[in-house]
Amino acid sequence: MSALWYVILAFMLTTYVVLDGRNFGTGILHWLVTRNRQERRQIIRAIGPLWTWHEVWLLGTGGVMMMAFPGFMAVVFSGYYLALFLVLWCILLRGISLEVGGHLDDPLWQTFWDAVFGLSNLLLAVLFGAAFGNVIRGVPLKPDGSFYLTFFTTFRVTGQVGLLDWFTLSVAAFAVLILTAHGATYLTLRTEGPIHDRSRQLAWRLWLASIPLFLLMTGMTWTVRPELLSGFMHRPFAWVNAGLAVAGGVALALGFKRNRERLAVIGSSGLIYGIIMTGAATLYPVMLYSTLPERAHLSAEALCAPEHSLRIALVWWIPALILSLGYVAFLSRYYSGKVGASSEHD
Amino acid sequence: MLNDPALWHRIQFAFTITYHYLFPQLTMGLAWFLVYWKWKALRSGDEKYNRAARFWAKIFGVNFAVGVVTGIPMEFQFGTNWSNFSKFAGGVIGQTLAMEGMFAFFLESAFIGALIWGEKRLGPKLHFVAALGVALGSWLSGLFILVTNSFMQHPVGYTVLADGSLAFDDLWAYLLNPWVFVQFAHNQCAALVTGSFVVAAVGAFYALRQIHTEQSRLYLNAGTLMGLIASILVAFPSGDQQAKFVGRYQPATLAAMEGRFHGGRLADLAMIGQPNVAEQRLENPIELPGVLSFLAYGTFTSYVQGLDEFPKDQWPDNIELLYYSFHIMITLGTIFIGLMGLACLLRWRGRLYTNTPLLWALMLAFPFPYIANSLGWMTAELGRQPWLVYGLFRTSHGSSPVVSSGDAIFTLIGFCGLYFVLGVLFLYLIAHEIAHGPESA
Ligand code: HDD
Ligand code: HEM
Ligand code: HEM
Repeated sequence: MSALWYVILAFMLTTYVVLDGRNFGTGILHWLVTRNRQERRQIIRAIGPLWTWHEVWLLGTGGVMMMAFPGFMAVVFSGYYLALFLVLWCILLRGISLEVGGHLDDPLWQTFWDAVFGLSNLLLAVLFGAAFGNVIRGVPLKPDGSFYLTFFTTFRVTGQVGLLDWFTLSVAAFAVLILTAHGATYLTLRTEGPIHDRSRQLAWRLWLASIPLFLLMTGMTWTVRPELLSGFMHRPFAWVNAGLAVAGGVALALGFKRNRERLAVIGSSGLIYGIIMTGAATLYPVMLYSTLPERAHLSAEALCAPEHSLRIALVWWIPALILSLGYVAFLSRYYSGKVGASSEHD
Repeated sequence: MLNDPALWHRIQFAFTITYHYLFPQLTMGLAWFLVYWKWKALRSGDEKYNRAARFWAKIFGVNFAVGVVTGIPMEFQFGTNWSNFSKFAGGVIGQTLAMEGMFAFFLESAFIGALIWGEKRLGPKLHFVAALGVALGSWLSGLFILVTNSFMQHPVGYTVLADGSLAFDDLWAYLLNPWVFVQFAHNQCAALVTGSFVVAAVGAFYALRQIHTEQSRLYLNAGTLMGLIASILVAFPSGDQQAKFVGRYQPATLAAMEGRFHGGRLADLAMIGQPNVAEQRLENPIELPGVLSFLAYGTFTSYVQGLDEFPKDQWPDNIELLYYSFHIMITLGTIFIGLMGLACLLRWRGRLYTNTPLLWALMLAFPFPYIANSLGWMTAELGRQPWLVYGLFRTSHGSSPVVSSGDAIFTLIGFCGLYFVLGVLFLYLIAHEIAHGPESA
């Protein structure tokens, strides 16, 4: 049962990254593909009506984490106390900038909030990337199974580590690249006019640049956490996800070649799902590695809620997922058109 | 209290939740006004209802967005600031927190964009459905969070595992906690009070400026009628039942809420008075004899316990604040009934739209339901002290051991700054929408 909930949690978190990753990406791109205020508004309108829908996946994930892995939530959230509040404040600022910018028709303030929007999204991509790196690298677990992390220490990956070191920073940089490419791909689907053309060009270049970097990242991961290689070899579920990543990559390339933008977006989503889920599958059964030699790793088994609670939750989680797929169908039916340059709401 | 390791976590949590709840109460109250106007528009085809719905949907949207961004820190703080509590109770309360996310928040946020931007795309029928979806979603999130809170007030349906943490014994007992029914009824009526007062205040504002006449009457009519109904329901039966539940399951809390230091029959209800905790008495009281016994237990001679019958380490730790919160809430509740009753009476006589003093009163009254709601929650949460889960788990044991108070102070200050900016922007945007008005929408 804990394995199943581990998969569900990873799935929900990845869904959040795929959905909100578009917003991170567009936020970062924002200043790169636009030339004036109208164009920046066009971008915001392309993501505006749906941002709360994307953000609630983080809440859903948080709720499910509290339910299924209360021990994990307790250790990790208090251990990353300051980093998490940074995430929260960025999310707050990002939300404000979307709402306020949309309501003010004033060049000074729109420019200001557009800048806040870009910066908070960039920082979010960095922080989520660093978080992913931290999960792979591990944290300095004390004998009682708790830890408290500062922002950085010596930038080495063993011993008393901090949030940032050479490895987690590389993962963060890689995440920024991938999410920017993902956002640009999404913009090709949702916009028309000059923004569309610039996004398309940029997306293609970013995806190409990510190939060598991806290989480099894989190599780095294996040096930091050699256990993952054997984890990968022994877990067919990881192969399935790696397959998904490859299929996503192919779909992405085809989508670009043949100008089928929807296919490209599906491809880039599949690629991100594949990469993160492969990572999650190779980590299992450990949820929290330790960078200190004396402390054993914490496993999903040890951190999960009682069996009975997990079984109850499955009964309602499945209908809830089906409902949310219904919402996805509804949203994609009514929000699939392209957003033009004019400022009409509908 | 100052040597409580949880002190700064408590202050931060209290601040962020009180702030958060300023927004959902309007969301939950306003949502049904939108549904009502969309319904009237659908049935009568009269464009004025659509105009009203469009105008309020914009205010609703801004309010909702602030509710979302301030709600996210709430959920995270269970892990960041209350990690021992999460470990202890996560196996039980995690269930409703997860359900809230997956059922309620998903529903709400899937339809909110459609409600605010989708009128043309969706057509009238589907747009009504979107309003309904948002309203249901917001009430559902209220329900789930109150199930969680009710468990903390009155734990049922659990067992204690070998490692000391909680697990389910009976899920249905947990979901159907008797405390939930009164709390949900009272809290939702109180949210409707907030919604009604805000709607009526905007109506009064336009009426006093003599602009948007047709719309202002619509708001005044709906706001005052709903306001009267909800204000009555808040006091009776739901508020009365709340107090009875507190008396039955948290007798020490009731004693503190009423500033009752000594037990006895024929308990008096203090209308006015200041509790003096050091000397254990109520100063300058004006009391109604026997009324407390009647209100809490149904007869004038029932025995009502006093604080002296409980060990001091089970007294709520801020009796003065608790006492004042409770009493001001009730006073405001009584005034609300009077104000809205008067407004409905004048409307029935056809004089509401021209009675300047009353319109001024309605316009200026809208902050008070917010105050009453916040004070009500302070009553509930301060009254629960010193327990985090009543009778099972103390608040001082709940906080995160690895987080220093310096870190908690730092993040608290950060929230103060950000929320200040957020509040200013929110007020600005709302004022902007109100100045813009419904006609030209
Ligand atoms: C418009 C707001 C409002 C108004 C006018 C009232 N209340 Fe209230 N009250 C609330 C808003 C509220 C609240 C914020 O919604 C609370 C907090 C917890 C809850 O469920 O509702 C609450 C809590 C609350 C509690 C504490 C329950 C606990 O300890 O868990 C009691 C005993 C009452 N109320 C009783 C009353 C009575 C007798 C009222 C008579 C007029 C009254 N309230 C008016
Ligand atoms: C929106 C309305 C609410 C308000 C205004 C509110 C207010 C407060 C206040 C003032 C405190 C501090 C009490 C003290 O430290 O002495 C507090 C504490 C707390 N409340 Fe609430 N509360 C609300 C709803 C909830 C709900 C729905 C839950 C549970 C799901 C909850 C859980 C807690 C927790 C965990 C604490 C920290 C421990 C404590 O200090 O008691 N609150 N709240
Ligand atoms: C500890 C207590 C609380 C937590 C953890 C919490 C959490 C949250 C979160 C995460 C959101 C954002 C949801 C979204 O994206 O749609 C939210 C919004 C909301 N919350 Fe709270 N909340 C708490 C207290 C309350 C209380 C006491 C109520 C009402 C009874 C409430 C009602 C709502 C509603 C209706 C929304 C929808 C957004 C809005 O109305 O602005 N919450 N809450």
